[in-house]
Amino acid sequence: MDELQVVEFVATYLKKKGFSEAENALQAEIQRNKSSNNTNPIDILNDPELSKFFRTFSESEDGPARYQDEYSKLRSWTYSSLDLYKHELLHVLYPVFIHCFMDLVAKGHIQEARTFFNNFREDHEMMHLRDLQKLEGVLSPSHLEEMEFAHSLRHSKVNIKICQVLYLFLFTSLHQNTYIVKKSNHCQSFYQYSYELLLQYLHKTQSTKMLGIINERINFQVSPGQPSSISDDAEIVTLIGSNQDAANQINQKEVHWGLLEDSLENRLEKTGLISDSEKAEGENKEAEIDENKKRPVEGGKQGASIKKLKKDKAINATAKTSRLEANTVSTAPRVKPDLALPVMPTEVEQSILEDLRNRVHLSSAALPSVSFYTFINTHNGLNCASISQDGSLVAGGFSDSSLKVWDMAKLGQQAVSSGLQGENDTTPREDIIGPNGRKRSYTLYQGHSGPVYSASFSPLGDFILSSSADTTIRLWSTKLNANLVCYKGHNYPVWDVQFNPQGHYFASSSHDRTARIWSMDRIQPLRIMAGHLSDVDCVRWHINCNYIATGSSDKTVRLWDVSSGECVRIFIGHRSMILSLAMSPDGRYMASGDEDGTIMMWDLASGRCVTPLMGHTSCVWTLAYSCEGSLLASGSADCTVKLWDVTTSTKVLKTEEKSGTNRLRSLKTLPTKSTPVYSLQFSRRNLLFAAGALSKTS
Amino acid sequence: MSIVPKETIEVIAQSIGVYNLSSDVALALAPDVEYRVREIMQEAIKCMRHAHRTVLTANDVDSALNLRNVEPIYGFASGDSLRFKRASGLKDLYYIDDKDVELRNVIETPLPKAPLDTSVAVHWLAIEGVQPAIPENAPVDAVSDGRRSEYREDGISVDIRLPVKHVLSKELQLYFDKIRELTVSRSNSTVFKQALLSLAMDSGLHPLVPYFTYFISEEVVTRSLKNFSLLFALMRVARSLLRNPHIHIEPYLHQMMPSVITCLVSKRLGNRFSDNHWDLRNFVADLIASICTRFGHVYQNLQSRVTRTLLHAFLDPTKSLSQHYGAIQGLAALGPSVVHLLILPNLELYLKFLEPEMLLEKQKNEMKRHEAWRVYGALQCAAGLCVYDRLKTVLLRPPKQSRWESNRKGMIVFPSKRKASMDNLMLQPPVKKMATLGPMGVMPVNSMAVNMQGPSGGFSTPVEGPRAGVSMLRHLQNEKMLRREVSNQALKTSTVLAQAWKEDAEGGHLLASLYELFGESMFSFTRKSELYFFL
Repeated sequence: MDELQVVEFVATYLKKKGFSEAENALQAEIQRNKSSNNTNPIDILNDPELSKFFRTFSESEDGPARYQDEYSKLRSWTYSSLDLYKHELLHVLYPVFIHCFMDLVAKGHIQEARTFFNNFREDHEMMHLRDLQKLEGVLSPSHLEEMEFAHSLRHSKVNIKICQVLYLFLFTSLHQNTYIVKKSNHCQSFYQYSYELLLQYLHKTQSTKMLGIINERINFQVSPGQPSSISDDAEIVTLIGSNQDAANQINQKEVHWGLLEDSLENRLEKTGLISDSEKAEGENKEAEIDENKKRPVEGGKQGASIKKLKKDKAINATAKTSRLEANTVSTAPRVKPDLALPVMPTEVEQSILEDLRNRVHLSSAALPSVSFYTFINTHNGLNCASISQDGSLVAGGFSDSSLKVWDMAKLGQQAVSSGLQGENDTTPREDIIGPNGRKRSYTLYQGHSGPVYSASFSPLGDFILSSSADTTIRLWSTKLNANLVCYKGHNYPVWDVQFNPQGHYFASSSHDRTARIWSMDRIQPLRIMAGHLSDVDCVRWHINCNYIATGSSDKTVRLWDVSSGECVRIFIGHRSMILSLAMSPDGRYMASGDEDGTIMMWDLASGRCVTPLMGHTSCVWTLAYSCEGSLLASGSADCTVKLWDVTTSTKVLKTEEKSGTNRLRSLKTLPTKSTPVYSLQFSRRNLLFAAGALSKTS
Repeated sequence: MSIVPKETIEVIAQSIGVYNLSSDVALALAPDVEYRVREIMQEAIKCMRHAHRTVLTANDVDSALNLRNVEPIYGFASGDSLRFKRASGLKDLYYIDDKDVELRNVIETPLPKAPLDTSVAVHWLAIEGVQPAIPENAPVDAVSDGRRSEYREDGISVDIRLPVKHVLSKELQLYFDKIRELTVSRSNSTVFKQALLSLAMDSGLHPLVPYFTYFISEEVVTRSLKNFSLLFALMRVARSLLRNPHIHIEPYLHQMMPSVITCLVSKRLGNRFSDNHWDLRNFVADLIASICTRFGHVYQNLQSRVTRTLLHAFLDPTKSLSQHYGAIQGLAALGPSVVHLLILPNLELYLKFLEPEMLLEKQKNEMKRHEAWRVYGALQCAAGLCVYDRLKTVLLRPPKQSRWESNRKGMIVFPSKRKASMDNLMLQPPVKKMATLGPMGVMPVNSMAVNMQGPSGGFSTPVEGPRAGVSMLRHLQNEKMLRREVSNQALKTSTVLAQAWKEDAEGGHLLASLYELFGESMFSFTRKSELYFFL
């Protein structure tokens, strides 16, 4: 190590004196040594000793004004650089900016820090508004220590991808030691890449402060090839506590995203392939029956259904082919469940199979019907809404600690009876003042002692879970209308709770930064998933029950292995708090929606973002995949339900690899009058249910 | 340094009883206060998000304080968002309006109604991706205009149309304002006349048409039925616009017509006796007639609607006479056939109604009597014009023809002592021939026919021929018997002729009956020479 230190001193001396030729030669030499040791190629710059040296070097002129001065120089230089390199260099600006600010605060120059922050804040507002808002409040060195966001920033390095052919060159020609120096020089003279540009600039202008920060805080990942375009910048946006390398390592782990071995769908397909043509014919009739069944509220839709029948026939041809495709895709991997899953009673199984057979096939040409449940007179008290799998039950969690469940089958009768009551007004309205509450239009579940933030129906609709600010989760029976269990374990409000697709197990997420796995028969959690740096806001099960995904206020989505409790994927790319998650039915993809209205689709296997779906202007409260996975529905605070085409989204990526442009693949926007959409649920027959509370427009 | 000034800290300190807080301490506390407040807000926002809201409420802040194990602030709990008021005189100081409430008032007021219980309503947001047009759904147009994206199978998708933005140039705005000002305040000036001319001629005014139509209808309907000169000015503006050949005013007609018709059949136009609203009515009647002729082919039902409205006003005895006058004028302006169809059948009845109003003995109110006479005049005029038109087709031939007619007259008068049947027989051959040969345009049979054929030619002549003959027959003061005989015979000749005969028979009858009703004054509508036939 001593030897290395000497080398580095020499290097910095050369830099200082501007002997770039000699310096580069030296650098190349060092890099070669390093890479042969299997460490990072250019972490000469990251060496703490070196940065210390720089800092002592610049101590003599340690004025707060220097930060401002140097940063503004760097900024103007970056902005005036060639377009080709600008993007990459701009990425460097933001970490430099926040670290300058934090350095100033840490040294106690609060006033200067403030002015510095306000001077340059605009540059980064578009990308990092929320972080800036957080940092703005940091006004004393003690805050830096206290605030976890700042803390994690100070104690970790920012990863920035920056292109340079040099790395690759060295790597491939490890064995040709003798030519390396010459070649690297040669190379550099040809390719003036961003990284080199930056270094050269910093050396020339003697911006010791900036150089110090860059050395200390930024970890350059030098990548070969041409400078990348804007779309590739997702990773630097989120500054996470753990090292990027660690995240990368995590993402190397294998994820078995396949469907369960013995799922019902699987069985259906086996039988289905044999009698496919037969089934298709039967489908039409059944679809119509199905249609009639599902429209208990509205009677006079006969004309529509006839029209639909014709349409269905037309679509059927395409549907058949697409189904064959789907079969080939879904036959890919099968996995065994790690959990002991409950056994379904045969009659339930039969009804599910029946549903699956009668499923309407959705595609970009065949959009779903959407039934909307509007909560009225909520007085701003509705916190969440949840719809059971078949759409017959709707639950609302209220800020007055109550959970109310409406039975849709009874709702129609209720309307009739209340209409009759209106006629003879002389009789007192028993259904409203009834003391036992039996005649209310809903079933009231009382037990929580804080706002109810989430509710989840069991797959069969016989249980409902609710999570509350009182840190508990409660299990209710919809048959008995009573509370069965209270699960205590979290230390802070429980934001989300979700039943396993097979029932029995459930997952919860909380302000205490953990997600937990529970089973219905135990009052202690089975697993605790810790790792998020901020609140865990939402949780969803993977379709094969072996994984759960969690979205957090730290702007990451993580995938956890249920059996081991390990984090197996970190998805970085969102720019604000994650509010909603959905898993595709084929288990391959996941969608996540955030506070800004961005929806991202992730490939679980690779951990990469398949495509960002832009379109919503406000929080995406809910996401849902259609049952065969061809459509994604999203509900948002901007009072719309949007339908996205998933199949082309993924296909485009496969064929064109990187088109670079974020194409809108929004199929349809369905605006509501003024009802933010809280919850979406596709039934097994692919009818889409949506729920939301009517909000007054004021 | 911090957005919380140290004065705030001092004030807070005083409010909790710390009076000797040194400024250093306040200065040090200020940044920390800011940091803590931000921290609480961050948590509050989380609570807000988890309650699926986008507006922060006091409850959220309470929950956030709760999360941090801080005692919540009491007294602000409310489901609604708070309304802040700006402190007067200070730029960025806000407070919550919290009025003092008399306790007694609170006790005495009756208990408020229990709020409605939460319920769930179901509707179809979409059926197979299409939103049904039901009241529960948002109006489709509002949204689809701006961001309609059409999807195509090949993936090269997205056709986003932006809403068409209507931009009015500064100059046009100025122009509009100027015209408006002129119309409202200086409609007697010569400048206004120039303006009218410009409105009728200028080519670039199309963007202003909706504004003008709105202006006119707004002014007429809402404000200025009392202001006669303004009404007149408005109607002039309307006429100028309608005359402008460069403007496509059709889409806005429906907006303009009500106000124009109002000016015709309104009960009162202007509020002074000196206001000559008769003039205005006449003017508007012409205007309506011109609209109907110009746009009748575009709007099929335009004229029928106008006439229906007017007829309604005319036949309603409860309406004032000035309204009747307007209706009659309007109908008259629409042409003699309208008068013939709609006014004349009702004429006799109406005159009976009108008569007492006109007589000095029965109607003492001079104003009313004057009005009645006006109406009488209008009726007379309309009926007269109608008759004139009827006869015009018969008699108002170019000079040559009238000469022929006089010849003819002479010829017919000569054997007047003969029997009508003879007459008829005499006339029949040429008529027949004319009818059959007409289309050929060659009439060598007799000189009369040639004469007649001269200028016009074409298909219309065979109709005119018999008409001329027959009307002359009739005009020989023949008895009704004869007329009927003639017409009967004529009916047999051909259908073309039948129509002509019938009309003419009516025409004759018309004049006669009109003569009965109006007396001699009716004859002023016919030329001397023609009159000669009748008498």
